[in-house]
Amino acid sequence: MSPVQKRIFINKLALIFSTLSAIIALAFLFWILGVLVMKGLSALNWNIFIYEGAPPGYEESGLKHALVGQLILVGMATGVGVPLGILAGTYLSEYGKNSKLANTIRDISDIMMSAPSIVIGAFVYAIVVLPMGHFSAWAGSIALGIIMIPIILRTTDDMLQLVPGTLREAAFALGAPKYKVILNVVYRGAKAGILTGVLLGVARVAGETAPLLFTSFNDNFFTTDLSQAMPSLTVTMFNYATSPYEDWQQLGWAAAFILSMFILGLNILGRLILLSTKKGK
Amino acid sequence: MASIIDIKGECALHVRNFDFTYKGATAPSLKKISMPIAKNSITALIGPSGCGKTTLLRSFNRMHDLYPGNKYEGEILFDGRNILDPKEDLIHLRTRIGMIFQKPTAFPMSIYDNVAYGLRLKGIKNKSELDGRVEKALQDAAIWKETQDRLKHDANGLSGGQQQRLCIARAIAVEPEVLLFDEPTSALDPISTQGIEKLVIELKEKVSIIIVTHNMQQAARVSDYTGFMYLGDLIELGYTEELFVTPKEKLTQEYITGKFG
Ligand SMILES: Nc1ncnc2c1ncn2[C@@H]1O[C@H](COP(=O)(O)OP(=O)(O)O)[C@@H](O)[C@H]1O
Ligand SMILES: [Mg+2]
Repeated sequence: MSPVQKRIFINKLALIFSTLSAIIALAFLFWILGVLVMKGLSALNWNIFIYEGAPPGYEESGLKHALVGQLILVGMATGVGVPLGILAGTYLSEYGKNSKLANTIRDISDIMMSAPSIVIGAFVYAIVVLPMGHFSAWAGSIALGIIMIPIILRTTDDMLQLVPGTLREAAFALGAPKYKVILNVVYRGAKAGILTGVLLGVARVAGETAPLLFTSFNDNFFTTDLSQAMPSLTVTMFNYATSPYEDWQQLGWAAAFILSMFILGLNILGRLILLSTKKGK
Repeated sequence: MASIIDIKGECALHVRNFDFTYKGATAPSLKKISMPIAKNSITALIGPSGCGKTTLLRSFNRMHDLYPGNKYEGEILFDGRNILDPKEDLIHLRTRIGMIFQKPTAFPMSIYDNVAYGLRLKGIKNKSELDGRVEKALQDAAIWKETQDRLKHDANGLSGGQQQRLCIARAIAVEPEVLLFDEPTSALDPISTQGIEKLVIELKEKVSIIIVTHNMQQAARVSDYTGFMYLGDLIELGYTEELFVTPKEKLTQEYITGKFG
């Protein structure tokens, strides 16, 4: 083989291998999605939204408790995590800039982002659950909020830094005080990016199970009492899917389907928002 | 030594022995600058890239204060006060001395809100007063016709030249006494450039203008006075028609005949 033929051969080989790998990876993805949709759709019915958990064998059993619990847990985490994350990100981009303190916060936040979520669950268990003496929705939300903060902080920081400095200068040149420059020029310029970060942050914590096992634990009944254990889709899914009862397993699939669609929807929405602003430019 | 003419009428600003040093720099970027800025006239600043034109321009509205560690020395007198005084109220100063940047800086909001921005900062809330002043500013910036039907549209939908006019409208809406232009046409096509130049000339009836340009023809076309800067020094300030025909300094002569720069 001449050197040129050899290179062409290696080129082809590499192309074949990388294409094959991509197909294998995608095949698994579609396999998972396919099973999820088939099993999940067949398990879906109105009872799921009407009834709370019941012992195995009961006709009138559903996921209302877990759906509402999930919304409460994620909602409270969002209520705390989003403002804190955005404010901290604003500090980094607009005030701390490249100072030592700001860069240290960025590093710590990055470490937190890659910390296993179960560790954060154990932490909240130690500082909230043990002193209170029992599991609670508060503890679950705190754990999810802690997981959410670094994600939102980082995207806010990045998105604010993408706003051109000349836009800030132009606002200052009109006599705007700094807080107004940030509030009505910088935030507006980064609106879509920050919103996308928030959606991705919410999507990320919505799928968490491990930190909830330590904190909000689980309950098979409908509750809105924040100081007690609270059911969630993820933990309920784990319990039902691993149970030996056919009807509980069905509910587990339904929970998996609903949760996946919720997270998929958030991700798609985030992408659409980014796309629509790019087109606008 | 530098050759600085005395100007005929009133002065809008007076620079005296002004030094400017960027944070961390070993030498000042502007050295002992002294010059008058004539009222209701256009003063152009020309000179090769990096000679300090932008640095000088951004001193007039204390833009350098946005980045800590820069150092001003000397005086810039405005209305009898030294605006380099650390106690100067920068927010107030910047409503009196406006600035137009090299690239259009339309805010991510509607055309109307862009122009109303400075007015609202001044505390004007009355809808009809805002409407009136927004329209007046857009008319004075010669962009009212194109925008009157789409005031609520996003300003980023305008062309580059229109955006630059919008920025001028936004700046003049608050009725400043001085306007600073930093190469306002360098990002624009020739037709838009012509329009902006015409507008700048019209504006001098109401405001005093300082315009930085790397384009000598532009300086010759629009300005009454021209200052030639070189390596942080002001080499010469003269009447525009004189400076380009009979410069007093050898360096100016060399620059305008294209020997360097
Ligand atoms: N932010 C800055 N920090 C340090 N030095 C700067 C900064 N901006 C400009 N300079 C320096 O100051 C000098 C004058 O720059 P500038 O005023 O931008 O020139 P011009 O506008 O005439 O092209 C240059 O030597 C430049 O390198
Ligand atoms: Mg410049």
